[in-house]
Amino acid sequence: MIELRGITKIYNKGKFNEVVAVQDISMKIEDGSIVVLTGPSGCGKTTLLSIIGLILTPTSGEIFYDGESVLGYSDYWKTSFRRENFGFVFQHINLLPQYTALENVLLPLYAKDSDPADFMERAVELLSKLGVMERANHLVEQLSGGEQQRVAFVRALIKDPQYLFADEPTVFVDEDTSRIIYRLLQDLRDKGKTIIVSTHDPELIKIADQIHRMDRGRLLQKK
Amino acid sequence: MRSAVIIVTFLIATTMVSAVLFTKEGLEREAEISVKTAPDLTVQYLKAGRVELIPLEYAKTIAGVEGVKAVIPRIWGYAGISTYTFTVIGLDTSSIQYTSFGSIESGRFLTPDDAGKGNIVIGKLIAGLLNVKVGDDIILLSESVEANKFHVVGLFSDASSIYTADMIVMSIQDARQFFRMPDGYVTDFAVYVEDYEQPANVAAKMSFLPNARILDQDLLLRGYKAAYGARGGIFVTLWTILLVGAALVAFSQAVVVGHESKFEVGLLKTFGFTTLDIIEVRLVESLVLGFFATSLGMILGYVYAAYFNAPGLVDILLGWAFLPREFRLPVFISWTSVFSIYAVTVIPLIITTVVPAWLNAITDPELAMRRAAA
Ligand SMILES: Nc1ncnc2c1ncn2[C@@H]1O[C@H](COP(=O)(O)OP(=O)(O)OP(=O)(O)O)[C@@H](O)[C@H]1O
Ligand SMILES: [Mg+2]
Repeated sequence: MIELRGITKIYNKGKFNEVVAVQDISMKIEDGSIVVLTGPSGCGKTTLLSIIGLILTPTSGEIFYDGESVLGYSDYWKTSFRRENFGFVFQHINLLPQYTALENVLLPLYAKDSDPADFMERAVELLSKLGVMERANHLVEQLSGGEQQRVAFVRALIKDPQYLFADEPTVFVDEDTSRIIYRLLQDLRDKGKTIIVSTHDPELIKIADQIHRMDRGRLLQKK
Repeated sequence: MRSAVIIVTFLIATTMVSAVLFTKEGLEREAEISVKTAPDLTVQYLKAGRVELIPLEYAKTIAGVEGVKAVIPRIWGYAGISTYTFTVIGLDTSSIQYTSFGSIESGRFLTPDDAGKGNIVIGKLIAGLLNVKVGDDIILLSESVEANKFHVVGLFSDASSIYTADMIVMSIQDARQFFRMPDGYVTDFAVYVEDYEQPANVAAKMSFLPNARILDQDLLLRGYKAAYGARGGIFVTLWTILLVGAALVAFSQAVVVGHESKFEVGLLKTFGFTTLDIIEVRLVESLVLGFFATSLGMILGYVYAAYFNAPGLVDILLGWAFLPREFRLPVFISWTSVFSIYAVTVIPLIITTVVPAWLNAITDPELAMRRAAA
C-alpha cells in the first residue's frame, strides 16, 4: 500500500514565477488496484504522479510504501527502489528516437542486476500483444505516435514491476489499441499489481477502482 | 560529431605541445652532453667588469697553477654566410689532443699539421645549408669584408649535439687571420686539469689570479639552460594558449553534451541507473577519448619534431627559421613530459564532461526530462 500525507509541490518557491502545482494532498492506494488521477490541464496530475514515482521531490509531505516513510531516504535508495519496483509510461512518451523500438524496450535492463538476454522472450511477447512486433527493429523516430506509445508500454512492463505509473497512456492510440491497453491494465491488477494512471479517457476511468479528481493542485472528491 | 570536434582540437593541441616539450627535453639533454665535451675550465680576461682579449703570456701563469694539465689558447667569434650566423672557433692545434668536440661523421678532426693551412671541420647545419661535403672549399666573409677560402676536412655528426651544428673549427692561426686579431692576444683559454684533480679545486686555486674569470662546466650548463629558459617563457605561453583553447572547446562541447544528455540522464535515473553508473559512463567515455587523442597527438608531435624538424616551431625553439633535412632536431621523450601531457589534456576533459553529467544526475529525473523537453 502507498500512503500520501500532505503532499505539496511548489515550483520556483520564493521566486516571482512561483507555482503551487500540488497542494496538501493525502490519499491511500491499495495494492492490486487501478487508481486514476483526472482533472483539467495543468491541475498537477503529472506532478503528483512523478512525486509518487519518486522522480520528483515534493516541497513538503510524506510518502509511505508499505508503511515505510521513503522521502528521507538517499537518492541511491530511491533509485534502487525505482529500478526494482516501478515502471513508467510518460506523458511525452520519452523514447530515445535514435534507437530501435526493441533497444528502447531493453534499455531499463542495462541498469544493475539484470541481463537483457533473459528478457528477450518477454519483450517479444509484450510487443506482439500490443501489436508492434513487426516494428521492433525500426528506429523510434520512424514510428507513429500510437506505435511509440505502445512501445513505451512494453518498456514500462519489461521487468514486470509491482507499480506502474502511466501518464495519459491512451491519448495517442486508436480505439482498438485502447481496448488492448484496458485489458492489459486489468490483467495486471488481477495479478496484484498497482496501477496509477492520469487520464481524461472516460473508458479508462470506468475500469478504475479509485478515482481522484484534481483541480488547481487540490483533490476534489473521492469515489 | 561533437566527439570529432573534441578529438581534432585535442589532437592539434597535444601535437604542438608534445613537439615543443619533447624538443625542449632533447635540447636540455644535448646541453648536458655537450658540456661534458667542454674544457674542464674556461678562463676569460676581465677588465673593468667586461670580458676583453687575454694576453697570450697569461697562459704561463695559468699553467703554473698546481693541477693544471694543459692550457689551450682559443680565438673565437661569429661569422656570417648569407643570412646565417655561425660560431667560429680557432684552436691551438699543437695541443689538440686534449680537446674533444664529439664524434666526426666524415673526414677527420684537426691535427697539429693543420696550423695555418685553412683547413676546417664544420657542423651538420652549415654543411646542409651550403650543400658542402668533405673535400669541398667554402668562402667565408670576414668583418672586414675580405673573402677567405677554407677547405673542409671533416664534418661533425649530429649525434655530437646540436651545439656543434653551427660550429666551424679551425687552427688558431687561421682564426687570428680571419678575425684580424692582434698578435699576442686570444679570446680565452681552455684549461684541462690533471686526472687526479677536481676542476673545482683547481678553479679555487686560480681565484688569486688577477683579472681572471673562471667558468666551470656547471656554469656553462647553467648558461645554456638560461638561454633556453628565456625561450622557456615562450614555451609556457604556448602551452597556456593551447591548453586554455583546448579546455574551452572541451567545455563548450561538454555544455552541449550536458544539454543533449540531460533528458537521457533523467530517463536513465528513472529506470534505476544510479548517479555513479551515469558518471562512470561519461568517465570511461572521456578517458578513452582523452587517452586516444592525447596518445595520437604525442605520436604526431614526435614525428613532426623528430622527422620533419618541426617546421613553424623551430624558429621559436632555436631561433632558426628552418632546419635543413640533413640536420636532425634533438628530440627526447621522458616519462615526466609524457605524464604531464596526459595530465593537462585528460584531466580538463574529464572535468568538463563528468561535472555536467553529475549535475544532471543529481537533478530530480522528472525535472531533468521536463526541462530538456521544453
Ligand atoms: N518544472 C516546472 N516549473 C514550473 N512550473 C511547472 C513545472 N512543471 C509543471 N509546472 C506547472 O505546474 C502545474 C502542474 O503541472 P502538471 O504538469 O503537473 O499538470 P498536468 O495536470 O499534468 O497537466 P496536463 O494535463 O496538461 O498534462 C502547471 O501549472 C505547470 O505549468
Ligand atoms: Mg501532465
